[in-house]
Amino acid sequence: MRDMRSIIIALLVALFLALVPLVSDSEKSYLIYFLFLTFCHIVLTQGWNLVAGYTGQISLGTHAFFALGAYTTAMIWRADLFKGANYYFDPITMILSGLVPVVFAFAIGIPLLGKLRGDYFALGTLGFGEILKVAFIKGGHFTGGPIGIMLPSSVYTTMRPHYWMALFLAVLATGVVYFMTRSRIGLALVAIREDETAASSSGIHVLKYKVLAFAISAFLFGACGSLYAYYLFQVSPDGFLILRWTLYPVLMCVIGGSGTVIGPILGSFVMTGVFTAANIYFPTVHPVFSGIIIIVVMLFMPNGIVRLWNREAQRG
Amino acid sequence: MLEYLTAGLLLQLLINGILFGTMYGLAAIGLSLIFGTMHIIFLSQGAVIVLMAYFCYWLFTLLHIDPYISTVILGSAALLLGAGLYQLLFRRAVRMEDKNISLLIAVGLMFLLENLMAVVWTANPRSISTSYTSSSISIGNLDISFTRLMGFVIAILATVGVTLFLKRTLIGKAVRAASEDIEAARLVGISPHRGNTATFAIGIGLSGIAGIAISTTYPFDPYFGFIFSLKAMIALALGGLGSVSGALLGGIILGVLESWAAFFISGGWADAIGYGVFLLVLMFKPEGLFVRSIKKA
Repeated sequence: MRDMRSIIIALLVALFLALVPLVSDSEKSYLIYFLFLTFCHIVLTQGWNLVAGYTGQISLGTHAFFALGAYTTAMIWRADLFKGANYYFDPITMILSGLVPVVFAFAIGIPLLGKLRGDYFALGTLGFGEILKVAFIKGGHFTGGPIGIMLPSSVYTTMRPHYWMALFLAVLATGVVYFMTRSRIGLALVAIREDETAASSSGIHVLKYKVLAFAISAFLFGACGSLYAYYLFQVSPDGFLILRWTLYPVLMCVIGGSGTVIGPILGSFVMTGVFTAANIYFPTVHPVFSGIIIIVVMLFMPNGIVRLWNREAQRG
Repeated sequence: MLEYLTAGLLLQLLINGILFGTMYGLAAIGLSLIFGTMHIIFLSQGAVIVLMAYFCYWLFTLLHIDPYISTVILGSAALLLGAGLYQLLFRRAVRMEDKNISLLIAVGLMFLLENLMAVVWTANPRSISTSYTSSSISIGNLDISFTRLMGFVIAILATVGVTLFLKRTLIGKAVRAASEDIEAARLVGISPHRGNTATFAIGIGLSGIAGIAISTTYPFDPYFGFIFSLKAMIALALGGLGSVSGALLGGIILGVLESWAAFFISGGWADAIGYGVFLLVLMFKPEGLFVRSIKKA
């Protein structure tokens, strides 16, 4: 019953948010952009939450999958893969942009997750991102080098489709985390996080579940990258393959409360708000300010906002 | 290209690689000590190194202090900074089970330092040019830049100093004991905080020295540090955790690899090769190349 109630509340909130662009002027209002960015952050944060918060594998490769999704979209569009189709918010293109990162997630996830533990896995995924960056910069015509691939921005009409797609992906990501973690799979993931050896000896195929979580998160990152490509119209290493896209979700997840469903949402709202405000009020020193915020929050509320008023909120 | 290739050129590349690799090595030693005792991936190491390079630049341009004299000033300032950073930022995080927190604090510190430097010194690359910057020593047909050689000598001296400190002094022994087994160290009465403070002081102190060595030889900008931290991580993985000389050797190997890769393939790909080797080592020899006893990661 409680589960039913929270699902209904969540859907009502989503529905309410979906109506915002109809009321607010979607071209002039900063609110639409702010919410769009927040939803994108929620997608990335939930993806990271699934792998790190629930399964306990700290990945620092979010930006790599995000960029892979964006590049997939840009390349499909540039190559005109479906012969004259409309690529702007094309569902097939977006799904493919999610699936390409999944292929990469299997390719690097099986060796890395199978062999590396803890910090070593984090460093390995970081290395993957850096290799990808060099490959994209050096990719010549295929990837557009340091400038990247320009998309025809003439198709842009309004911010509304971006907003709704971001909201949809945020709901999807949250739903995936919610239902996965309330299933047998979720139990397996939490068991792996708590004690890998014990999980393995209870008959859980550790590698299979780790790779599964990793691949699902890669799909979410890739789809979000595709969406962001439709927003920027330029897919370049400087816009996508930067550590920002890894660190912000980590930060938002930890600040909100990792290993919970609601934590990443709260964290994304709060931190996107803080960063946006800092950007408006102290434009030159804004990143300095962000650095201070990260340190202060980690020092004084390392368990996240969710656990502030609910001390006994259980992980998982 | 191959017609230019001579033994002399290969040797020149090797020497350049070794000289630059010692910079990675210096950073890696600091990382190794900090990771070994506290399990903190101190990603801001590179940013601290660049900060020290900027201080050296200031001392040189504003007060006309020779960079090698400022080694003493900045080395000791960095020691204090390291102790302060530990007490202020990491003391609480070290005790926590969740290692995300210390990683994120390090990331926050990196953000803070990088952008503070960009505000104070702008994002344009800086370098220090002294009267001896372009002088070099010729041995046969090899040219060795004087400042790079000095950087190498300083790095070796610092490594020897740290090794002696860890082996000969009581607090050094405590640090080593804590990095081997923190529980056991506590049982025999070693206060982890004193050891941790000392470790952080040494790690940051070394980055002060690395900062000076870099500022005299290579141009630097505020965002140079992150790549440098990553390179130091690679050096650390190559050398194996908890070994001071291993970290230095790991740095040298990485420097040589990059120097050769940059020549034979192209400058940009050199980075990818570094990370590729890093991944391979992590997968197949996670204990590092020089460690004989196998410890599980």
